[in-house]
Amino acid sequence: MAATRTAPRPSAAVAPPAAPPPPVRARRGASRQLGRTLRDLATAAAVIAMALLAWEGYKALGQATGDLVPLTSLPLPVATDDAAMPHVWQVLAALAGPASTASDQTLLAYYLQQTSVTLREAAYGLALGAAVGVCLALLMRQLPWLGRASMPWLVVSQTIPLVALAPIVVVWIGGAGFPSWVAVTVISAYLAFFPVTLNTATGLLSADLTHVELMRSVAASPLQTLLLVRVPAAVPSFFTGLRLAATASVVGAVVGELSAGAGLGIGRAILTAAYYYSLAPANLYAAVLVASLAGVVFVQVIALAERLVLSKREH
Amino acid sequence: MTTPTTPTPTGTAIRLAGVSKTFSTSSGDVVALDDIDLDIPEGGFVSLLGPSGCGKSTLLRVIGDLVTPTTGTVEVAGTIAAEARRTRQYGMAFQAPGLMDWRTVRRNIELPLQVQGVGRAERRQRADEMLELVKLTQFADHRPRQLSGGMQQRVAIARALAMQPRVLLMDEPLGALDEMNREHLQRELLRIWRATGTTVVFVTHSIPEAVFLSTEVVVMSPRPGRIASRIPVDLPYPRTDETRLTDEFQAAERHVRERLHAVLEPTTAGL
Repeated sequence: MAATRTAPRPSAAVAPPAAPPPPVRARRGASRQLGRTLRDLATAAAVIAMALLAWEGYKALGQATGDLVPLTSLPLPVATDDAAMPHVWQVLAALAGPASTASDQTLLAYYLQQTSVTLREAAYGLALGAAVGVCLALLMRQLPWLGRASMPWLVVSQTIPLVALAPIVVVWIGGAGFPSWVAVTVISAYLAFFPVTLNTATGLLSADLTHVELMRSVAASPLQTLLLVRVPAAVPSFFTGLRLAATASVVGAVVGELSAGAGLGIGRAILTAAYYYSLAPANLYAAVLVASLAGVVFVQVIALAERLVLSKREH
Repeated sequence: MTTPTTPTPTGTAIRLAGVSKTFSTSSGDVVALDDIDLDIPEGGFVSLLGPSGCGKSTLLRVIGDLVTPTTGTVEVAGTIAAEARRTRQYGMAFQAPGLMDWRTVRRNIELPLQVQGVGRAERRQRADEMLELVKLTQFADHRPRQLSGGMQQRVAIARALAMQPRVLLMDEPLGALDEMNREHLQRELLRIWRATGTTVVFVTHSIPEAVFLSTEVVVMSPRPGRIASRIPVDLPYPRTDETRLTDEFQAAERHVRERLHAVLEPTTAGL
């Protein structure tokens, strides 16, 4: 799960003492990383385009055969009428249309606004979860008995169904007088901390034994060894965990909103669209589409941060 | 400190008396070192030579207080090894350069000074001196992975020397390099040793390397690890590539080889 850092070292022949240094490429790292991120986004867009084509193709097939698998009398798994599978352009038209009869805001603008609320909750949740996750990993590293004792409970914490737990958190935090977004943030953090804890703990144990022995040979304190060797060695694993946590935090925020009762956010908007599904089926798909794209962007931002931080270690 | 001076052995830098080390394993106790007595003079360059499993790396770690001996005493610079480590008398280099890829070359060399609590400006100045000593000044701001294996090993040596240690402990630091690189770094190492006057304990399994570098070669025998013989090498310094071609060098090499084979024979006879 954790990233290993045993990349092959360049085995170039020794340079004579007066060899000119190779050109420094570190400064161009940031723009190169940005280019990579743009390319990743383009790939994601291509995947989405193919998914839309598959959607329309399946729908056209079903319409042509009367919802039957071609040349058989077997029904297709999902009906292809406009209520079950609206056309892509119907979904896009719904996004371009008004959010409600009494509003001059488009549905897209409305959903983006709701999504921004959700992403803010997810970002807070991710930050809180990552902080808790790193602290737990450090504690588990420094106190191995605590690590062994607490790991089963951490696993249990992640196997409790979130939909069962979320209402309890909402009741507790609502009861303490906090606004509903705080409860959503806590639920998001609850999902986010686990991958950070697991990966960071693995990373802290992955420190090079030569480095540890070197630190002992110069009489470094345990704290110095932790801060100068183990923590930097754990950074790549930490980011692996953070990327998983970013996905989890968005899921946590959306599910948290469903449980939070009245409030804002794309989770609430999806629920509302589901209530009115028979009246406007395209709206539900539109909301899910916006939420998914926002999730992709959110995780990509974390991935970009990871690349910027780790790019200095390469080459 | 970059002015070459001929090392003049004055006193005893390292003294081991009755040192043994037994490791407990699931398949019983393993005697890694058995009753080692050894004096290493101040400013000496002593190689520990022997087949794998002879305990030479363990002996190095006992000297450096990274492994606690089961019996016996280790004195370094007139004090016990634990105190010598606490007061930072050691520099260490290993077979793997062990550079930290999240630090630049200069910051890697600064690491022991940072541990010691040396201020930023002085740290930088000392690191720059070390870079000059290993002739890598222009690579100060590079990342370790931008350097070749030989250059990385030179950085590791610079790091080991950064605290100006009394004793430099090296565990096959050139073992992973190709022959050309290896001979180049042997010359560099001798130059650095003569420039700093540090006492060096050097673990190797290469006979020519031990002979070329050392003032004395300590041949060890395996199972249990013992000192089989101590062979002074009287070749004059500075030693160069021409030294390797002289009859004296080859005679010394042959002598060490004979002693090493005498150590190995009982084992081979047993097989």
